[in-house]
Amino acid sequence: MSEQNIVAPASDRQEKFEPKIVAFVCNWCTYLGADLAGTTRLEYPPNVRIVRLPCTGRIDFNLIIKAFEIGADSVLVSGCHPGDCHYTSGNYHARRRWILFRELLQAAGFEMERIHFTWISAAEGHKWQEVVTEITEKTRQMGPYTSLYQVTDAPAQPLPVQGGELPAVRLPDWGGEGEEGLRETCRRLLAEDKVKVVIGYGKRGPVFITRPEDVERLAWNDQCLANLTVYLKRKEIRALGRPAIVVKGCDERALAVLERESQLDRKDLHVVGMACPGMGEPKCETCDVHVPRFADEVIGEADKSAAATAERWKALESLMALPAPQRMSYWATEFERCVKCYACRQVCPMCYCERCLVDKNRPTEIDPSATSKGNFAWHILRAFHLAGRCVGCDECTRACPVGIDLRLLNLSLAKAAEEHFAYRAGMDPKAEPLIGAYSLQDKENFIR
Amino acid sequence: MSATISQSALRELVGGWIAQGKRVVGPRLVVSGVGAVREPPLDRGNESRIFYAPLESSEQLALEGFIHPANSMKEFLFPKHEELYGYRITGKGIELSEVEPLRAEQVLIAARPCDAAALPILDQVFNWDYKDELYNTKRQLTSIVTLACAAHDEACFCTSVGLAPDAERGSDAMLFDLGGSEYEVRCLTEKGKALFDGKLEASERVAGLLPGPEKRFDAEQVRAFVKDNFDSPFWPAQTLACLGCGACAYTCPTCHCFDIVDEGNIERGVRARNWDSCQFSMFTLHASGHNPRPNQPARQRQRIDHKFRIYPEKFGEILCTGCGNCTRHCPEGIGVLSVLTAL
Repeated sequence: MSEQNIVAPASDRQEKFEPKIVAFVCNWCTYLGADLAGTTRLEYPPNVRIVRLPCTGRIDFNLIIKAFEIGADSVLVSGCHPGDCHYTSGNYHARRRWILFRELLQAAGFEMERIHFTWISAAEGHKWQEVVTEITEKTRQMGPYTSLYQVTDAPAQPLPVQGGELPAVRLPDWGGEGEEGLRETCRRLLAEDKVKVVIGYGKRGPVFITRPEDVERLAWNDQCLANLTVYLKRKEIRALGRPAIVVKGCDERALAVLERESQLDRKDLHVVGMACPGMGEPKCETCDVHVPRFADEVIGEADKSAAATAERWKALESLMALPAPQRMSYWATEFERCVKCYACRQVCPMCYCERCLVDKNRPTEIDPSATSKGNFAWHILRAFHLAGRCVGCDECTRACPVGIDLRLLNLSLAKAAEEHFAYRAGMDPKAEPLIGAYSLQDKENFIR
Repeated sequence: MSATISQSALRELVGGWIAQGKRVVGPRLVVSGVGAVREPPLDRGNESRIFYAPLESSEQLALEGFIHPANSMKEFLFPKHEELYGYRITGKGIELSEVEPLRAEQVLIAARPCDAAALPILDQVFNWDYKDELYNTKRQLTSIVTLACAAHDEACFCTSVGLAPDAERGSDAMLFDLGGSEYEVRCLTEKGKALFDGKLEASERVAGLLPGPEKRFDAEQVRAFVKDNFDSPFWPAQTLACLGCGACAYTCPTCHCFDIVDEGNIERGVRARNWDSCQFSMFTLHASGHNPRPNQPARQRQRIDHKFRIYPEKFGEILCTGCGNCTRHCPEGIGVLSVLTAL
């Protein structure tokens, strides 16, 4: 499949539009179904290009994005019926991933009418004929996909800011409550040699305290924003020896996920939890983990009631209320400022890959350039790799030097995880990770 | 005696430049719609949303109420992504196609003195062994009108690297806020004179001295220290918190490293250059797998070393203008300033 085959010159596309459809199909069912359609001489439009993969569970979501980038007007993803998978469960994994991925694409402003999912078995040549005919006709009616990564001509409307608005009055400077207790605890831990280093907050940014007499450098106030769990994976920090780590309730969720993913062993660290009344960040408005739940010890108390679940998605609502092309336009405008400094990745406790996919260049999967294509690919990749894993600490958003509200992408996935699977990452340390597991009951009303 | 211009006349002038088809770039409030951007560790008010950006109308020009825009001016001469040439594979051969440098006149208005001063520094590295045509073309067509700083924050440290809130270096003309929506204009070069020709009024009002940030460190001492302390425990001790993103380098007016990539498919594509940062682990990674700067302390040392020793020894200039963007944007509060004040 070369680009030339897919993309006709723009002028041609206007005059005589022939939809270009890319179908990602599994080797065992749909590919054979399509083959059967051919051998039984069933006629269907020649607009579909088939890309055969071993299994739907093996279809990288980047491929769907890539197909649109090189000019596809619609994409079809198709595999074996549930219970029919050649590898027993590949299609179940795929189904769960699509449920989440669809929500992300929606938030990013893709036109969902152009993305189709079906189960077609090796015996269903007729269904293949039907599906391809129907998708082709539907796409023909919709016309070419021109809004991809485009800023619409409509005047940019500032969205009503909801839920994420910072309180007009900053929190009164607090500090003091808990700060002494924290220092005392850390002094004791270091003096008794229970830990070799305390990873905590200093006056500005993180500090790494190795001597009991240095605990005065520890601070606890409304500027303790960072999620320090990110340091647990770093070699330089690991080299210092057994750590004690200072966490807020939100940060602590990251520990639960990291442990479940075998990235750390709670026996190897001491967790000092700080009851937190909120730091004045958007996430704090809907926080329901003001007091750490699994810490080895908790300092202070926070008398805060949890916000209603619906409150958590408020910031997302104003984005989702827009039509898809405008949602995409919003992101295209935001991503224009992205310089690809990867601060969002570096501060994320969940981004612990030794080498990020975006840094792989043999072959290059994601364009490294900070162009609209490269930026969309990167942000979709980053968000989806965190599906069912993001604990909502919003560090990515805090770290972004150009102020892109990456939180919204994470929220779309968190909402999907909660609504479809009643799952919140890092809330229950025993819960099976969302991606990597599946259920026979996963919904499939979007799959034909 | 001085020459002045009122704010309304200045905006009219800016509107005129835009109407002439010049690209006019200045500080501009970027409203991003959904949600809110966090308050950063350093109180910087709303300036995280002020960016140097192309102006579509003169009303968009922001002249006060912020310390430093979130980005730097360099991207209008040395963009984050720039195509060098295109290629097309034809049978057994390869066809190359030139990318024409943008030949539009450009005015950078209300630049901070620390951003303007960065340009003569960058000129050296882009004209050292190889004359960089893409950079030079844009540079020649660019005029810089600087607005002297009336305020600074605790991240600012221009006075520590030999600059000041009213430093003239790199500017074609300078504006000084006289209060009451009036600006004193000092035209420093022919380009500057041409921009304001016939638009200025004679006045008795002269800008007063501007208070600069306190001097925080001695650049010469820094140079001596980095020269003799390559393996000092100072580096790991001070830079443990660094997570290795490129926020410091990408908002820095003087950082100029780039990476060259080919992007395209089996038939055609472009060769382009993208910003790169010495803080990335990939920056010095050899094909063999060896990495001469294997950890973050080594990479932070390199950043300071390059800015305060290597560049001055080679070009006689400190590769830092004290704008403070690295400190403002570091998610973990590090930046050049905190490292050097610790030193």
